[in-house]
Amino acid sequence: MLRYTARRLLGAIPTLLVIVTLAFLLLHMAPGGPFDGAKRLLPEIQKSIEAKYHLDEPLWRQYLRYLADLARGDLGPSFQYRSTSVNEIVAQGLPVDATIGLTAIALALVVGGAVGVNAALRRGTRWDYGSMALAVAGISTPVFVVAPLLILVFAIKLHWLPAGDWVHGSPSHLLLPAVALALPYTAYIARLMRASTIEVLNSAFIRTARAKGLPPRLIVWRHALRPTLTPLVSFLGPAIAGVVTGSIVVETVFGLPGIGRYFITAALNRDYTLVIGITVLYGALIILFNLLADLCYAWIDPRVRLR
Amino acid sequence: MTAYRGRALCACVACVIVGCGSVDSPAPAPAITVGSALAGVQSLARGLDDTPRSIDPQFATDVPGQRVLDDLFEGLTAIDIAGKASAGVASSWESSADGKTWMFHLRPDARWSNGAPVTAGDFVYSWRRMVDPRTGAAYAQGLAAIDNALEIAAGKKPTDTLGVEALDGHTLKVRLSGPTPYLLDLLAQQYMYPVYEPAITQYGDAWVRPEHLVSDGAFVLRENVLGSRITLEKNDKYWDAAHVRLQRVVYYILTDQAAQVSRFLAGDVAWTDSFPANQRAWLKSTLGGQVVNSPYFGSYLLGMNFTQPPFKDNLPLRRALVIALDRAPLTHYMREGMYDPAYTLMPPLPDYQLPLPDWTGLSSEARHELARRLYAQAGYSDRRPLRLDLDTTMLDTGTRHYLEAVAANWRSVLGAEVHIDEREFKVLLQELQLHKLLLFHDAWIGDYPDPYTFMQIFYSGNGNNHGDYSNPHFDQLIDAAGQEADSSRRFRLFEQAERLLDDDAAFIPLYYYATRHLVKPYLRGWQSNVMDRNLSRYMYLLEHQER
Repeated sequence: MLRYTARRLLGAIPTLLVIVTLAFLLLHMAPGGPFDGAKRLLPEIQKSIEAKYHLDEPLWRQYLRYLADLARGDLGPSFQYRSTSVNEIVAQGLPVDATIGLTAIALALVVGGAVGVNAALRRGTRWDYGSMALAVAGISTPVFVVAPLLILVFAIKLHWLPAGDWVHGSPSHLLLPAVALALPYTAYIARLMRASTIEVLNSAFIRTARAKGLPPRLIVWRHALRPTLTPLVSFLGPAIAGVVTGSIVVETVFGLPGIGRYFITAALNRDYTLVIGITVLYGALIILFNLLADLCYAWIDPRVRLR
Repeated sequence: MTAYRGRALCACVACVIVGCGSVDSPAPAPAITVGSALAGVQSLARGLDDTPRSIDPQFATDVPGQRVLDDLFEGLTAIDIAGKASAGVASSWESSADGKTWMFHLRPDARWSNGAPVTAGDFVYSWRRMVDPRTGAAYAQGLAAIDNALEIAAGKKPTDTLGVEALDGHTLKVRLSGPTPYLLDLLAQQYMYPVYEPAITQYGDAWVRPEHLVSDGAFVLRENVLGSRITLEKNDKYWDAAHVRLQRVVYYILTDQAAQVSRFLAGDVAWTDSFPANQRAWLKSTLGGQVVNSPYFGSYLLGMNFTQPPFKDNLPLRRALVIALDRAPLTHYMREGMYDPAYTLMPPLPDYQLPLPDWTGLSSEARHELARRLYAQAGYSDRRPLRLDLDTTMLDTGTRHYLEAVAANWRSVLGAEVHIDEREFKVLLQELQLHKLLLFHDAWIGDYPDPYTFMQIFYSGNGNNHGDYSNPHFDQLIDAAGQEADSSRRFRLFEQAERLLDDDAAFIPLYYYATRHLVKPYLRGWQSNVMDRNLSRYMYLLEHQER
């Protein structure tokens, strides 16, 4: 397994290189520059600023310079926020996003998993139809609707929870953003678990267990549950990478200092280094969590062999 | 934020503000009882529209940055409660007869937040740093009024030739390239604030971090969480600290205007920087007097390209488009009456007579008839209508609906087919700078309350003159105004210049901007002003109870 992990991690390097190169080229091809503003600068000042950020150099040299910095773990200065480095922005925002994202995923797993398995066990009943209808509603309701509704009810009407802001270690500040973010994942996981559980319950080894006279509870917990997790693991790999790098809607509505919003604002402001930095980070996390998902397959299903 | 601590409020002066929620108001305003005594906890939470681009005064080019810097720093002059320039670090000043040389006398008790005195030398260092091309300060041309500033910024002269000199620790001599009657307003701009040289020398770009920042304003920086909040605390070393009542100011960065409303309704912030324009009627019915709109020193307009057909050498067409619009109903119905219809480039300014065009006195029928005649004179008709794209940046819903109504107005009056084409801001900017666009969205917010800040954009060759308008007579008037020391005569020259813009139909005025704030009734010490600068230094909180 160690050799497999090492090989996968080494294989990630060219993938990341392709991501960096594409992001770099696409951004530089986009019209407009990072220092074009509503009020036009003096040409000499514009040149001076561009020289400060090496934007006056040929593209290939800028690219090599960026790669060299990246290899040292330096994501460069932000063009949009003067005197701030991309490393600082990521270091400040990623823990916030990771806390909210992982809490949301945990909530979604617990609630979605329980609802999905229950719906499968009570297939064709009111519980099944009701919970799946709710799941469809959950998937279909965008976060930008859910988040303001949560604020309206729990912050403005009931005054139970804060309407926004972020305080490290404060569960009350975490709850509403995490629930808003968790809702679509909960719904998706519920549907996924239902389908997966039904499939497993119809398989031959469960029939055998039933034929041997094992009690239903034991069949579900000891034999059925583990294989039902396989599709969930496939889903969770990229999903976790997505949530820990932030959600622009949740961050904007709750005023949270995450990095999700920069996927949009940095691109619109042509903040080259910030866009490439968070793109690389997102790519690296996708690779990492996909690798973890593959490792989990082997643990869940003994038939899977990692080579 | 609940500053109420359970003590009995002074009943004789207490007022109860209750939102008169209409039937369709989902969230009636909380009742707020306001007392007359100061709240025990003087901690103010303010909403901020965006993350400041920098806390370095010389790099800040944005409104959110200016708001925070107004609290952290102070220039030779400072913005008073009414938004006007008044004595700041300089307690007095005098100018020469020709208005080109000024002497500023710094107050001896002005201190940096570390206790060091603020000296004339600090201003010399700061302004030289600002115009030094190596600094890369985007607003270096903001110092254009100071002798040699533009030449230094262009790298043609050394920084020590800048027209500023410290005669002693507390006397600063400023030489100007021409009389600048708005100098005192200019000196209160954030890029004119002094910066602390030892901190910059020691920490470089990192000097703006809370642990290193030394400032000379009413507050000091305690925390800066990018994209979330900026916390300031009272600066006890500030020369006027005795009159600063707030102990703490927290700016919550809320880029979503609806989120600002939510936080206001939840009682988290007592002041918002804005609210969604299309929620104004609902907010007004829900919050009543807590919704504050007032004139803002900005104009929304459409530009036309003078270098390409159909507008090049086609005055009748340009005038037809300007005259045809029914501005009053357009702003009333499509902007909820929040903005005033514009007929000039300059928004209203005291002592400045807005040169209203003659056609504004016509009835709407006569005006439409005149517009149709001009349209026909330009060679257009129902069979051969004008077909044109109106290029804009990505619009919010309210502005998009407004521009759709403008296009519909042209269609109904003239038969012109104008199609709105939205594009990314940076793309629009680049195309504007290349003069590729024919009819385009434009807007201007004045930096200081003076006509020059607006008029300069139509000066031949100005970088912001996106339509490439050029009229030598207009340029001469602007030049003459630049050499005129008498404020009244200067304004008359600008008025003449603006009449020329109207005669040439140089742009299509739409409406003057307005400020949009939600303010809790217990927050006092502020006044609406056209520059929309409201310093926390003057604000204070009264005892209150919010249910």
